[in-house]
Amino acid sequence: MTATSETTSPTARTVAAIAPRDTLRRRRGRTTTLWALAFLLPSAVPLILFTLVPMAGAGWISLHEWNLIGDMEWVGLANYADLLTDPATRAAFGHTLYYLAGYLPLVFVGGLFLALALNTALRGRSLLRGVYFLPVVTSWIVVALVWRWLLNPSIGVVNWTLALVGIDGPGWWTDPAWSMPSIILASAWKDLGFVMVILLAGLQSIPVELVEAARVDGAGWWRRLVSVVLPLLSPSTFFVLVISLINGFQVFDQVYAMTGGGPNGSSDVVVLRIHSLAFRYGEAGDASALSWLLFVVVLAITLVQVRGQRRWVTYA
Amino acid sequence: MNRTAFARLGAGVLAATIVLAGCSSSSDTTDTTDTTDTGAAEDSVTVTYTNFISNGGNEENLDTIVAAFEEANPGVTVDVTTLAYADYATALQTDLAAGTVADVFDIEYANYAAYQSSGVLAELTGVDGSVFTPSLLETYQTDGAQYALPSSFSNVVLYYNTDLFDAAGLAYPDASWTWADEQAAAEALTDAEAGVFGDYQPISYYEFYKALVQNGAAFLSDDGSTVAFNTPEGIEAAQWLIGKSGTVMPTAEQGAGTPDFDSGLFTEGKLAMWHSGIWMFGALADAPAAWDIAVEPGNTTQASAMFSNALAVSATSEHPEQAQAWAEFLAGSPTAAQVRLDAGWELPPIADEALLATYLDKGAPANRQAVFDSLENVALPPVIGDKQNEMVDIINAQLTEAAAGRMTAAEAIAEAEAQINALLAD
Amino acid sequence: MPETLAPRRRPRAGRVLLHVVVVLGALVMFFPFLWALITSVSPGSGLSTTPSLVPQNPSLGAYVELFGRLPFLRVTLNSLGLALGATVAQLFTASTAAYAFSRLEFRGRGVLFAVYLATMMIPLQVLIVPLFVEMKMLGLIDTYLGALLPTLSSAFGVFLLRQAVNQVPRELDEAATIDGAGHLRIFSRIVLPNIRPALATLAVFAFMSSWNSFLWPLIILRSTELQTLPVALQSLQGQYTTQWDVVMAGSVVSILPMLAIYVFAQQYVIQGVATSGIK
Repeated sequence: MTATSETTSPTARTVAAIAPRDTLRRRRGRTTTLWALAFLLPSAVPLILFTLVPMAGAGWISLHEWNLIGDMEWVGLANYADLLTDPATRAAFGHTLYYLAGYLPLVFVGGLFLALALNTALRGRSLLRGVYFLPVVTSWIVVALVWRWLLNPSIGVVNWTLALVGIDGPGWWTDPAWSMPSIILASAWKDLGFVMVILLAGLQSIPVELVEAARVDGAGWWRRLVSVVLPLLSPSTFFVLVISLINGFQVFDQVYAMTGGGPNGSSDVVVLRIHSLAFRYGEAGDASALSWLLFVVVLAITLVQVRGQRRWVTYA
Repeated sequence: MNRTAFARLGAGVLAATIVLAGCSSSSDTTDTTDTTDTGAAEDSVTVTYTNFISNGGNEENLDTIVAAFEEANPGVTVDVTTLAYADYATALQTDLAAGTVADVFDIEYANYAAYQSSGVLAELTGVDGSVFTPSLLETYQTDGAQYALPSSFSNVVLYYNTDLFDAAGLAYPDASWTWADEQAAAEALTDAEAGVFGDYQPISYYEFYKALVQNGAAFLSDDGSTVAFNTPEGIEAAQWLIGKSGTVMPTAEQGAGTPDFDSGLFTEGKLAMWHSGIWMFGALADAPAAWDIAVEPGNTTQASAMFSNALAVSATSEHPEQAQAWAEFLAGSPTAAQVRLDAGWELPPIADEALLATYLDKGAPANRQAVFDSLENVALPPVIGDKQNEMVDIINAQLTEAAAGRMTAAEAIAEAEAQINALLAD
Repeated sequence: MPETLAPRRRPRAGRVLLHVVVVLGALVMFFPFLWALITSVSPGSGLSTTPSLVPQNPSLGAYVELFGRLPFLRVTLNSLGLALGATVAQLFTASTAAYAFSRLEFRGRGVLFAVYLATMMIPLQVLIVPLFVEMKMLGLIDTYLGALLPTLSSAFGVFLLRQAVNQVPRELDEAATIDGAGHLRIFSRIVLPNIRPALATLAVFAFMSSWNSFLWPLIILRSTELQTLPVALQSLQGQYTTQWDVVMAGSVVSILPMLAIYVFAQQYVIQGVATSGIK
């Protein structure tokens, strides 16, 4: 790429200092754009071909009535109108938000605690890190079975422990009021390791010198945490929050495996509803429309987060 | 990582994808037409077949049938794809959506109406109907035309633990029993302290529509436009099911409804009576407890649930004749029937009583005749096309609520009626 | 080892308490794996009402059956190949994109990044049908390439690495520029070595995501020679009954390679800062 040598060799820099600025800025801008294109192409091509194109396809389907096996029938925006007035849609979003409200704080605080704890010179921490990561790599088939057993109202360990302290344990996943909390518990438990790993990687890249300097200046561990570590960790915590929100809105596997959305629809979340609409109820058009509604919601929230990062995320 | 390492990495990725692409092309035989070096090259045809019925232990039995068919029909090869039952529907629907469906594929009775009305099933003409049990054959006809062939059937019977009955000095269930008899025996045999239960019947849609017929009620009105089970008899049927939970049967909280819970209880000898399908014969063969089966007791009428699977030919198949030949062979040929009977692989839908008679001597249970007796009065499930699964989910949800005591049977029925009528009106 | 928090003179009690809490938590974490392991060596075990932590009549029968019923080696190799392909590809595509988003200022950068993020916001359930149709048009149904292509690039990876690249001080870039380095050299000599923990992390997640992925391989791969591990394990659950010990044996076996990858990658996550050249 001959264009770049203009802006990087010492001679060129001297020339740049003298030559008219806007021509050079334009030229630099153009070459930067070319470089950007080159660096972006490997990732962009698969994303365009295998995600954006199907997304458009899903948008196209959302404008039709389709049971997947027969013909598509054009209905325009009728699916969207139906969904927006359907109480089941509202319920699904409600349950999803309920899930997020319970899951996010648990998994984030727990994961942060773990990452901090396992970043210190604790005995056997490599083993411990591996053990905490185990649930993350275990499939939901196993995890759902285990948690259904743990939370079994009559013979499960959880209710047995509660009984020891005199509390009459609830019906957990057999009780509409407790089905969502059951899923929240299982999910937070499973994803702790994920948050831990991300934050650990982030902690590893915090220069030791900065923390040392604070310690030398007399800052206690809480002070060091809040004033030095957390701000420097903020790019990773920002990442965890954005990803957890995007994934949380699309929670599916554990709901499908643990409660199937029940009892009586009490744990029916948006993507479960999408799955049922597409593959059980023969409403692929509605399913696609609902997924675009979900998309709009998630995008809006993510944009707010991305905008907001300027206020609290500090990069080195 | 330096530049050369990176370049090597990039080359490696490229090479890997090329190699994988090369490997994959050798397996691209799913819908190509084989041409062999015989004189009659235009007769060589590959029929693709996607199934779930052989999954889980019967793959070799299916291969036997395929081999027999190919021998009898030189020039035709059958290319089989087997999927797990749980995923089959998703895969099949995706195939139909994309137009990549196989020439012949499995369907269940519950989905037949939806597929037929969507026009994806080819009409089968010239089928030798005499081979099949008439009622099964008719199940897959619409407006007089045949759209699928029954390939197997199974039904639900009452299992009972003979040891427990003997110990309590009670008479075994027989064809004359009604709900009252079953209830009495269940109560007598339930021993909560010992963890023994008298009677287990899943509280689900599949038991409910059958219980309705057993009590002289109907699920849908005659024209199928509204629900017809919100009657005293219908509520009684619902009560019959949910009343068992917590009295003669474990509750959902105690584990009822979890996978293999009921079969585990029965195998351990902790369950006196159990409503389940004949597919469990194999699993119970080594059970320590002695057991037998009887026709399910009805109330005012006797009625048993029957499930069947069928074979359909795709409406877009390029080889409809050969595809139909394969479907007919797998569904009704004596070879296929014999393989099924020998392997205990569900029951063939054939009318040949002599052949079926060999089924009666295959070991436990002793009263295999009950399987055929149950066919005399079949409770067919209500079929409403596309909305089928939604209806099933609604019934299951309401019955579960009632069983848990959060609703009475009458309230559950009323709620189900309201929701399903709204569904049907759509 | 960087110790960002532990002071040199923390009271013993606090340390011990922390250790106890973490170890207890680890036991809770380890429990499902332990339970799966025990179930897998308890023959004929259903998920009955009396699960026990001590295997009754322990035997390896489930594993024998597992390897007998499934073409296990083939299926594992398929999963391995696809997972390795996805991991290598994502390391490449995500790092290049991260560099662009972090170091190159171009018009529409923010919008484009938002578009990247947006690709994570539509559930796979709904993309499956159009994607399948697309693969059919490309003639890639029932091929490795068809299974692999959608996994070559992931916005998750781009996002993760962008955060990491953002944390590499620009002074290093500038120093290299003065020495005459162009973008390629800065990328490969400065940026990549300094984001090793994040690269290792991405490798683990990319591998895991591909290894455990179920829905897409189910739909795109049909021939038995091509099937992947999760799909094959699912087929162990029958229409009416399931041999749970075999299912658990399958789950145990499928976790092991993942653990190996994680342990292997851990070293890189830790090594990171020491040799990165930050001051």
